[in-house]
Amino acid sequence: MPSQTITDLRQVNLFAGLSDATLQQIAARVIQRTYPAGDAILQDGDPCSGVYFILSGQVRIYRLNADGREQVLVRMGAGQAFNTVPPLQSQACNHSYASAEGEVSAAILRNVDYVELLQTCPDFALTILHDFADRLDHLTNLVEDLGLRSVRARLARFLIEQADAGTLSRGWTQDEIAAHLGTVRDMVSRTLRVFNDAGLIRSQRQSILLLDRGGLEQEAKM
Amino acid sequence: MSDWTLPVIDLTKCNRCGVCVQICPTRALALTPQGPIFENPDACSYCTECEKMCPQGAIACPFQIGWASES
Repeated sequence: MPSQTITDLRQVNLFAGLSDATLQQIAARVIQRTYPAGDAILQDGDPCSGVYFILSGQVRIYRLNADGREQVLVRMGAGQAFNTVPPLQSQACNHSYASAEGEVSAAILRNVDYVELLQTCPDFALTILHDFADRLDHLTNLVEDLGLRSVRARLARFLIEQADAGTLSRGWTQDEIAAHLGTVRDMVSRTLRVFNDAGLIRSQRQSILLLDRGGLEQEAKM
Repeated sequence: MSDWTLPVIDLTKCNRCGVCVQICPTRALALTPQGPIFENPDACSYCTECEKMCPQGAIACPFQIGWASES
């Protein structure tokens, strides 16, 4: 097996605690692929071809409604994995769309290899279970957010999270914010104006500056 | 954070329909055979109408989000 593959695999957070023997078994089975920016990696409903472990780049996981409106489920980066669930289901179909937000390099395990590793490598099985627990947590919070919080509250929280992320935060278009929050662009635009008029933020060319943390935190609780 | 920037146009997605040029309230854009360009960049107010109206999704007006005290 190529030693470079093992070196690449060690970058994957999920693999941090795996034994060398397990890592060698994974390295012997993975295929590495690179996806250019904007490439569609997965189509919702297509037969699942494998599990993806991101080596570099960022992937957007999302669903679409019949009108083409997008709801982002999660954004994943280097060290994370996606499509870990379908190989364990009888119908084995992709649950969502996945798209490369920049160039993405991934290590891919075929369904049969993934299941075999789960059965033969307990440390691999445990690390996937931990990932499922984190994923369930995230999606439960997303359901709560979408079901119980207003757009205004979700936007306030989103703005705080992005500002707190500091230099790790990227630029967001209003369409991207809408897809992330489960709403439409006009609602985002309107709510930003409301926040601006209330003195909570200052929208200016290319930037949204947050002025009032207390006020925004209060909005986020509504 | 930078104070001045222009919308980002992806010419690989652009079909030269010219909607962005027509919709721009400050006439900052002009259409060339290669696609739209900012003929009057100083006139661009970053209103994001070009991004909103582009049928191809070829224009992006991203916003950096941050605390005012850190800018």
